[in-house]
Amino acid sequence: MLNKRLICKILGTLLWIEAAFMSLSLVLALLYMEGDAMGFALTVGITILAGTVLRLMGRHATNTLSRRDAYLLVAVVWIAFATFGMLPFLIGGYIGHVTDAFFETMSGLTTTGATIIDQVEGLPHGILFWRSLTQWIGGLGIVFFTIAIIPSFVGGSIKVFAAEATGPIKSKMHPRLTTTAKALWGIYLLLTALCAICFWIFGMSPFDAVNYSMTVTATGGFATHDASTGYFNNVAIDYTAIVFMFFSGVSFALLYASLFQGKAKQLFKNAEFRFYTALTLTATAVIVYFLLRYNHYTVSDAIRYALFQVVSFITTTGMFNEDAAQWHHITWVVLSLCMFFGGCAGSTAGGFKCARGVIALKILRNEVRRMVHPKALLPVKVNNTSVHTPSQIKLLAFFIAYITLCFTAYFIMILAGVDSTNSITIALSCGSNVGPTLGLEIGPTMSWSILPPLVKWILSGLMLMGRLEIFTVLVILSPSFWKNN
Amino acid sequence: MKVIIVGAGAIGAHLADLFSKIRQDIIVIDEDQEKLERIQADSDLMTIRSSANTPIQSLKDAHVNRADLFIAVTRDENLNLSLCVLAKSMGARQTVAKVENAELSDPQIIDAFRAAGISSIIDPDNLAALDIVNGLKLTWARQRWDVHGGLLTLLGIKVRESCKILGHPFKEIFKPDSPYHVVAIKRNNLTIMPSGDDRLLPGDFVYFMTTRDYVPNMRIIMGKDNYPDVKNVFIVGGGKTAVRVVNMLTHDVKAKIFESDPRRCEELIDLVDTSHVMVINADGRSVANLMEENIKAAQAFVALTGNAEANILACLTAKQLGVRKTIAMIENLDYMDIAGNVDIGTIINKQALTASHIYQMLLDGDVRNMRNLMIVNADVAEFTARPGSRIIRKKVGELDFPSEAELGGLVRDGKGVLVNGETQILPGDIVVVFCHGIEMSRIEKFFI
Repeated sequence: MLNKRLICKILGTLLWIEAAFMSLSLVLALLYMEGDAMGFALTVGITILAGTVLRLMGRHATNTLSRRDAYLLVAVVWIAFATFGMLPFLIGGYIGHVTDAFFETMSGLTTTGATIIDQVEGLPHGILFWRSLTQWIGGLGIVFFTIAIIPSFVGGSIKVFAAEATGPIKSKMHPRLTTTAKALWGIYLLLTALCAICFWIFGMSPFDAVNYSMTVTATGGFATHDASTGYFNNVAIDYTAIVFMFFSGVSFALLYASLFQGKAKQLFKNAEFRFYTALTLTATAVIVYFLLRYNHYTVSDAIRYALFQVVSFITTTGMFNEDAAQWHHITWVVLSLCMFFGGCAGSTAGGFKCARGVIALKILRNEVRRMVHPKALLPVKVNNTSVHTPSQIKLLAFFIAYITLCFTAYFIMILAGVDSTNSITIALSCGSNVGPTLGLEIGPTMSWSILPPLVKWILSGLMLMGRLEIFTVLVILSPSFWKNN
Repeated sequence: MKVIIVGAGAIGAHLADLFSKIRQDIIVIDEDQEKLERIQADSDLMTIRSSANTPIQSLKDAHVNRADLFIAVTRDENLNLSLCVLAKSMGARQTVAKVENAELSDPQIIDAFRAAGISSIIDPDNLAALDIVNGLKLTWARQRWDVHGGLLTLLGIKVRESCKILGHPFKEIFKPDSPYHVVAIKRNNLTIMPSGDDRLLPGDFVYFMTTRDYVPNMRIIMGKDNYPDVKNVFIVGGGKTAVRVVNMLTHDVKAKIFESDPRRCEELIDLVDTSHVMVINADGRSVANLMEENIKAAQAFVALTGNAEANILACLTAKQLGVRKTIAMIENLDYMDIAGNVDIGTIINKQALTASHIYQMLLDGDVRNMRNLMIVNADVAEFTARPGSRIIRKKVGELDFPSEAELGGLVRDGKGVLVNGETQILPGDIVVVFCHGIEMSRIEKFFI
């Protein structure tokens, strides 16, 4: 049976943590005094109150979390964070409608980065900071953050970790989850700080540097300017962003091992990393070719824009420094492919994940070989360990779920009258938590405000499912989850 | 503290579970990926898959040089021993190896093992046999645990209609100076930490804390004074454990071992002292065979075949035939609850015994003894009260002690004393704590 009390208790604690994050924005709002402080103050109050009520409801909870509880908890936490996180937009009147506000917040938390705000430059600093912060919190996972700072608070933390972490292989670097969580958050903080410093050195204002660094390392993509990083039109900033996006798309556990455990060689031996790098380079080469051939860019510009766009899409960040809508259509296909695969498992990136890509391609290769050698035993080996058949089946099931989900969203959007190219890229973009879309109606640089409300709700759900890797949400929607057996 | 466990079988898994509950850094190494995944799904620990060809590489991967405790509990005793020697030479602080052979667990050769780098030897059969022999000495109780060399005694007893204190609220029965306490009750699969309004009901499984001298009186209070002492014991299944048991029995106890395999019977007669042990080549589950050997004359019945279901059924049969004391060996932990409910008497589980024995080694030097009582799903531990610790600041009744835990008794100046609300614990006292569903660390805080 579901341990509702414990779920309430943990949810209450997490809301307090969200309130703490909001207070940061409140401080900023008070510093700049642009009229958004009231909204934040109210939101912090409401969130703390809700957290307290939930904690009271969860008094005397037994500290055992079943697998079922863990799935429900994770899904509910993300929805609750989005619900409370949208209040500053609504109270301040910066976003007029609940649909839009929820969409914006969910897009932030899931590090998608699709926005419905047409003009972000007019917004107060507090609100802009809150948008970036939602992405940063969502980057490694809300509950995972809490495991790092309050180790004892979840009895079945290992199950929660399994429900929220991304990728097919949930690797630990240390016997204990708390230590693992601390190490991963350490890497995350380090990346963010380095990125902010680099941005600042290359000419951003401190406020912009902090915001962009948070959304870059979270591979989110919210920007404080309408033209995203294109606003700066600065080669150094573009390349800094490329480097940090790229490394935020690498498994943090792998980064930790190569940086702090003296196993730098491991990075280049890792099958997933190699696949990720190869995919990035190939896609860039193809796009460079088309830019040179059809759009008459100079070589250095072509490389800069192509690499930026490819890394931005493959890491599912979704920032832009050039309007890709003007490019040749084939480049859109290449970018869509990047969107689909996404970054490495155990990073902040979304998508199908390169680890799965590697395994899926090996399964495919094996099946072809089996046509010729029907009796051969063909292992699927990744980094010298073979992937068991149940894991292979799970992976293929994930693939099917992913595709079905994207196509369902595509279908609904077509029915709602959205342009076809846009529909398919929007579905992919949300499912992989990328952000921009490619197409004729809505370009990558535009906001999504013109979409109908129903579509926005569906896309919000799609983003959440994409972030939690589908099954965590899907299992809750299944009838057998709620049956008492 | 870093613990490395090699072997993810029943013992390894049980140990990993125990250790992860007290938040230690645990690494489990095994060849079987599926076993590892099962453990990893439930407990907070790291697993490393080894292959038969690369045991040393997996030790390196686990950073055995930084291990505080290295436990080898694979099926292969030679592998266990050699892994421990390797681990020690690679820098592990303490090593424990599980063995099967009785000769290897002989206390006299432990020095030879220590010289080779093996700190302790664990022999599950030996532990099981000890438990069974202790059980046979005490026919009317299911479990007996002597705390601190017998100064205090914990008794697990099934409550029958003949119990003298049946149905009375505890606040009426127990005065502060009562010579015994109820520390826990198991009723309908639930564990109750008793309060003054609770009472005993027939069918309860109850844990008493008492002093050694008072143990015979407990027998009268529980209405079990008509339980005879064991002079004849029937043992079904002539495995290794059975041999250990009969060799530990005193010569005034006659034993009959039922073994259906004739070849094993031939072996058995060489292994046991036939002056008081009789080996019978017959199936011990058959009523006819039992009657033929005159089971009416037996006071105890021990089922030690490798099959848990057979052991449970054999014990039930023996109960029907009038044997009061039955003991069943059950390898499968999932059967524990059922076995407790169907009333088959004492239950022996080698995995749990071994795991709690090793667990006890790990716990701080101040925790002297630790035992997992399987039926109530609770833990008993001994702590030493240090000067300046929280436990000695107030009287027991005024302490803010968690309700999931119960102070049973204490040992002071070599004498066992029971604890009540008026007791003032002094530095140096060894306190016995009974806890259920609470982390040991929360209790430990009171003693540091």
